[in-house]
Amino acid sequence: MVATFEERARSSYDEFVRLFSNVLFAVSLFAVWGLLTLIGVIVDQGKDPSVYAGAYPAPIARAILRLGLDNIYHSPAYIGIIGLILVSLAACTFKRVIPARLPALRKVKIDAIPLSASIEVRGEESAVRARVAEFFASRGWQVRKREFSGEEWLFADRHNWARRGVLIAHLGFVIIAMGTTIYWWKGFSGTTAVITGQTITVPQTGARITLDHFGYRFEPIKTKTGLVYQPVDYVSNVTVVGRDGVPRNETIRVNQPIDIDGTLYYQASYGYAVTFAVSKAGMVIPMEPLKEGQGFQAGGRTFQYQRFVPTVDTATGQPGLNPIPSNPAVALAAFDGDQPLGAVLLPIGKNLDVGNGFKIAALRYKLYSGLQYRYDPGMLLVGIGAFVLLAGLCIAFYFLPARLFVQITGAARTWRVGLAATTVKGYDIFEEQFADLVAELKASESGPNRNAFPVRSESPA
Amino acid sequence: MTLDQLLIFVALGAYVAGSIALITYFLSRSSVMRTAGIVLAVTGCVAQFAELGVRWATTGVWPLTNLYGSLSLFAAMGVLIFLAFAWKYQVWFMGGFVLLIAAIALGYATTWNEGYMPAVPSLQSYWIKVHVPLVISSYAAFMVAFVAAGLYLLKYFFERYLGRSQGVATAMTTAGPVTMPVGGYDADMAVSDVRVVGLRDDTPMISAAASRGDSWALWLQTLPSLSKLDIMAYRIVAIGLPLLTIGIITGALWAKDAWGAYWQWDPKETAALVSWIVYASYMHLHTRNNWRGYRCALVNVFGFATIVFCYLGVNIWISGLHSYKM
Ligand code: HEM
Repeated sequence: MVATFEERARSSYDEFVRLFSNVLFAVSLFAVWGLLTLIGVIVDQGKDPSVYAGAYPAPIARAILRLGLDNIYHSPAYIGIIGLILVSLAACTFKRVIPARLPALRKVKIDAIPLSASIEVRGEESAVRARVAEFFASRGWQVRKREFSGEEWLFADRHNWARRGVLIAHLGFVIIAMGTTIYWWKGFSGTTAVITGQTITVPQTGARITLDHFGYRFEPIKTKTGLVYQPVDYVSNVTVVGRDGVPRNETIRVNQPIDIDGTLYYQASYGYAVTFAVSKAGMVIPMEPLKEGQGFQAGGRTFQYQRFVPTVDTATGQPGLNPIPSNPAVALAAFDGDQPLGAVLLPIGKNLDVGNGFKIAALRYKLYSGLQYRYDPGMLLVGIGAFVLLAGLCIAFYFLPARLFVQITGAARTWRVGLAATTVKGYDIFEEQFADLVAELKASESGPNRNAFPVRSESPA
Repeated sequence: MTLDQLLIFVALGAYVAGSIALITYFLSRSSVMRTAGIVLAVTGCVAQFAELGVRWATTGVWPLTNLYGSLSLFAAMGVLIFLAFAWKYQVWFMGGFVLLIAAIALGYATTWNEGYMPAVPSLQSYWIKVHVPLVISSYAAFMVAFVAAGLYLLKYFFERYLGRSQGVATAMTTAGPVTMPVGGYDADMAVSDVRVVGLRDDTPMISAAASRGDSWALWLQTLPSLSKLDIMAYRIVAIGLPLLTIGIITGALWAKDAWGAYWQWDPKETAALVSWIVYASYMHLHTRNNWRGYRCALVNVFGFATIVFCYLGVNIWISGLHSYKM
């Protein structure tokens, strides 16, 4: 018989759900996720291709770039694996986790259950039954009685609600994923640098930021390896204008961002903007201040401002340790086309003859503040998800849903209480508690006033 | 010698001596050695916390801002978690190995001891007092879980070796009804107090060898069954994983304050995510009957390898935002 399209679709759907709701499949996805994440830890992310060419043998560097391992967390493979995990989570939640309700109350073969015990008890049948039921009830077990063809059974359940811990943990993960998706969809982030006295406009928000002053503090410390200047504070004093058009004075410090119309601005870095001048035969060509890494042309060559050297050691002529400018210079590299020609330390205020009648000078420097900004409308959701996830983990790990099956058999005044236990995590994990329970029950039944209530007070000390 | 140095010295000495005492107890079950080991473990742990406290009080700088402080806390928390766990479940036999790792960690930490250093700006946040202890405690818990998994594997392979060398059937059998007196549970003494029928308890193999007088088998019998060792490792991971989860969450909250984004894919936080993924996998695998035990112990050991990489490897070899430049 040929299967209809509908039948085939149904069977492929069943096949899909079976695979995706399988925990081992989920763990395989986890393994791939972990591996990709690890690659991102080992391989520097988001660097210029030349960095990889310099750091790895050529074939590996090529592979890194071709496979997108230089930006792995935003690669289709990475986003795809998280997508698959979410699909798997959804399939599992609907197929297994939600349907996993409290199992029906039915009688069992006590001896066939691996975790079982039996104790002998004396007394009136009804009193024995009442005492055993009270014993479990007084210890927080939810006790229910059922009769099966004239046989009375006692069922005691504990932490039944905690069966939902897995569901809650999974829900937390989904909420986190939703929060990050909202950021990808609606959020943005960027960096900007403001030179002292300058005003910039943030492209995405239109906010205007003026850097009034940038300050830092270093502490010189003698360590075993020598003198170290330990940074202690970075502060940007800014005037900001948001959507309301009203200027406000604000202070941005590391760990103390400011909020302009819902976008947060952080102290991310700082540096020195240097104003260079190129001159030929007394004619000076004025230039905008440059930041580290930027360059300019002079006499057919390219010069790149590599880094600011706050202190040149007067004895050696080499960069010193002190990060506070006292004898400052700039490290300048020269290129002929792509060809590097070398680098020099050019003291601030001094001229450098670069040939063809051209001179360059680093006239002055100003501190700039590197700011990072970020608008993330998914942040709250991620936070909520994280706490839901945590709650789920704690419920799933620390509250063990368990069921006890109790059967009392015997005659006259001698009764055998058969006990068996099952839990959602196997038998071994409950062994000690079960042993304790059995011991307590036994002790309470052999106590002097065993017919009295409540059971707890009966236990011999 | 300053008070600070004296306390480090006391802690290190106590861990080394305690480790020898508890490993002797592990091998011989001498109760004198057990008592000595416990006293030394407590002494070392107290000395370590006192040392961190003294350092904080005298410099005014939170001591966990460098690798010395954090490795030191790792050792102290590892011992503390072990003590709590051993006290609850009577598993003192694990202690020798925990103390050995603590001694190595503390010894190595002293090579990073720079003395007084004010905190760089990004570390000047109250989050450091929350985030770092949580993450370090989770690493410490995983260290103790690693020891439990290691003992599992030791017993597992030893049993198989005994099984082979003595011609005892290697099949994992159902244990058959073993009724023992109901009494207090003491994992140290491997006394099982309830009737456990058909659990994947492999003690019969050892029992058979022990009944032939094999001294190793007699010794192995004093360890808890494999399934108990597995549960112990699981219980410690169940402490470590929520700690790591809160650690990552508080780290994200801090990153939001310090760098503007709760997640920057910085090598350090990403490495913690790798460990989190491994332990989340462990927890999932542990729900499967055929993964509990041997395979889960291997995942546990692998998980601790990722912790070592994440903790020391990334700190030392890979720079990133967590190298606290700003
Ligand atoms: C990839 C998709 C996932 C699937 C298919 C899946 C499946 C499952 C299943 C079926 C269980 C219950 C097993 C049992 O009791 O028999 C479970 C347990 C659990 N899951 Fe997941 N899961 C997934 C992802 C996650 C994620 C991402 C997290 C964490 C955020 C998580 C956290 C948990 C926890 C805490 C437990 C309880 C474990 C225990 O009690 O020891 N799961 N998972």
